[in-house]
Amino acid sequence: MYELTICHLYPDLMNLYGDRGNIIALSRRCHWRDIDVKVVKVSINDEFQYEDYDIIFLGGGQDYEQSIIKDDLAKGKAQRIIEAVEAGKVFLGICGGFQLLGKYYKTHTGSEIECIGALDIWTHGGETRLIGNLVFSCDFLKGDENQKLVVGFENHSGKTYLGEGVKPLGKVVKGFGNNGEDGFEGAIYKNTYCSYSHGSLLPKNPALTDHLITLALLNKYPDFTGLSPLDDNFEKLAHDSMVKKLLS
Amino acid sequence: MENFIRKIRFSTAIILSKLALYGLRLIGRGGTSLPGKIALKIYPEMLSALSGKFRIIMITGTNGKTTTSRIAAGMLDRTGMKYISNKSGANLASGLTTTLISAISLTGKPMVRTALLETDEAAFARTAPKLKPEIVIVTNFFRDQLDRYGELYTTLDKVREGIQGTPESTLILNADDSLCASLGQNVPNPVVYFGFAQNAYPEDNTEISSDAPFCIYCSARYDYSDKTFGHLGHFSCPSCGYKRPEAQIECTEVLGYDSLTSTIEIKIPNGKLSAKLALPGLYNIYNALAGTALGHQFGLSEEDLVYVLEGFECGFGRMESVKVMNREIKMILVKNPTGFNQVLRYLLTQTNHCCVALALNDKLADGTDISWIWDADLEILAFMQEKIRSFLVSGIRAEDMALRLKYAGIPEKRIKIEHDENKLIDEAIQSVKENETIYLLPTYTAMLDIRKIMKERYRLKDFWK
Ligand SMILES: [Zn+2]
Repeated sequence: MYELTICHLYPDLMNLYGDRGNIIALSRRCHWRDIDVKVVKVSINDEFQYEDYDIIFLGGGQDYEQSIIKDDLAKGKAQRIIEAVEAGKVFLGICGGFQLLGKYYKTHTGSEIECIGALDIWTHGGETRLIGNLVFSCDFLKGDENQKLVVGFENHSGKTYLGEGVKPLGKVVKGFGNNGEDGFEGAIYKNTYCSYSHGSLLPKNPALTDHLITLALLNKYPDFTGLSPLDDNFEKLAHDSMVKKLLS
Repeated sequence: MENFIRKIRFSTAIILSKLALYGLRLIGRGGTSLPGKIALKIYPEMLSALSGKFRIIMITGTNGKTTTSRIAAGMLDRTGMKYISNKSGANLASGLTTTLISAISLTGKPMVRTALLETDEAAFARTAPKLKPEIVIVTNFFRDQLDRYGELYTTLDKVREGIQGTPESTLILNADDSLCASLGQNVPNPVVYFGFAQNAYPEDNTEISSDAPFCIYCSARYDYSDKTFGHLGHFSCPSCGYKRPEAQIECTEVLGYDSLTSTIEIKIPNGKLSAKLALPGLYNIYNALAGTALGHQFGLSEEDLVYVLEGFECGFGRMESVKVMNREIKMILVKNPTGFNQVLRYLLTQTNHCCVALALNDKLADGTDISWIWDADLEILAFMQEKIRSFLVSGIRAEDMALRLKYAGIPEKRIKIEHDENKLIDEAIQSVKENETIYLLPTYTAMLDIRKIMKERYRLKDFWK
């Protein structure tokens, strides 16, 4: 029997806009396949040994909360997050968590806030917020064109740019994405996946959820051959109704 | 020197956490737990240091904390006492600390003398011995979300541990709850019990399943001469003799009730009063009794107690109710996770079978971002699903709500998506039997739509206001 351990980083501080829906989706989709899942919450002052976890999740927080966890990150967690990313751990960063994995955040007044630096990405604070439903297309997802579309909701003022070696998660079909300029949304580096899309990204996008679970299982069980299919009727309805609403 | 350093640390903690509080307010967020976290980090003994500065009332228990806190607040208002209280979301150690710090000056002087603190059961164990409350109210012990603290008895033990650390506090306890009442057995604390007199509860619930059927002391099965709901009632253990203690604050009769109010008679030491509570659900009478016990403790007259009890309104806004084809339809607006959770907790205390219909819209007035449904504890519905005859979802984002229910643990085949609100109402009515209830939980604009349909269909005039 397969077992996965999910680490929810700073669940009490970085948990905006239904972020925990992502943890619920990962857990349920494992349970439904008889894959054992344990969720461990790691917050301020808690030990963080990335080797203990198969999937690590960092959600979004308000600026103030992000500045609070900075100190805690500086005491060693930042370094271990970098190591986790380099070691190919499956890592999901959403919104503020996405920005935080980058090199820095420059506010629109010009001051520069240093971030973890696990990914070669950086963020500039904008004056307007980029808000609304979002659809983007991910080439790496299995299935037809429709299944490659990912839906979510974005709400951010930071504009994020990708450096060398970091690929976008997808191409924006409707919405703003990383910066509203280059047509990209999110980031992929090794097994680290980032997105501005909350509204709980994973439940409505089971292909992406299963992709992350598969990567985690392959990391842990090299002979793993693939996930059994699930009845995704409701997932499909929620996904397709939003695609239809935005693209028609 | 050591003393001096401690003082500096204390002042620094106060100043920094007040700064955080101020900062959070500046960016438009009510500071709840963070300032307290900062203070506890710098000065771990902060709660003990603050305890002497306030008369503290702590309210804990698994259900009804928020309602009881609000009634208690009404009682304190009536005494004319100035007090500080915490928001229901800030009931952990850090939230309590934030609340107390917000009520002291930078030099450490309290600006009010009384603090009313709704406290999480697990946090109670650690905070009560430090805060040394003058009064502790424990509402009851029901199974909560199972993943939170695990066993009900673990929760009870946490509260017991907290009480052991504060032997001088007056305890206000639920006499009808064998678990809660046990907190008052063999302790040095003064105890005031509240409960229902024999046969005062208008519904016969002796067959209802119980969270605690066996004696907490000797594991024999309790006998009940009367039951209100769940495991609450006049219990007695045939083996060791543990039984419901005598209640000083007692509901002696329910004079009348409907889906929105109940009129009750309460016996207090040397007196008696009757009041019409603007609270739905008979279980809320327990919260009113706990609040009455507090008001009586603070010397309020019978008239004042009645004034507070009658002036109090339901926590989640008005519930609308109408009878259609011998079925009751109750509509409660849901718009954010906190309010949604209160409604879900209310459903958890319902003993009859029912239907739950949710209508989720994402128009501007509802909020275009519906991600909040993932922050609400819909898992509660999965936990009580054998009582729910059908799950119906409607509204512009019906599919999202259906998905949320599925991931909450409700089988897909039990959930029906019905975009047409007329059909939704038909389905709901058909799914329940006579005298059962349909809970309609819409977001704002969905509520307007449903109201309109109900008005047309059933020629309702002023009922749905
Ligand atoms: Zn016994």
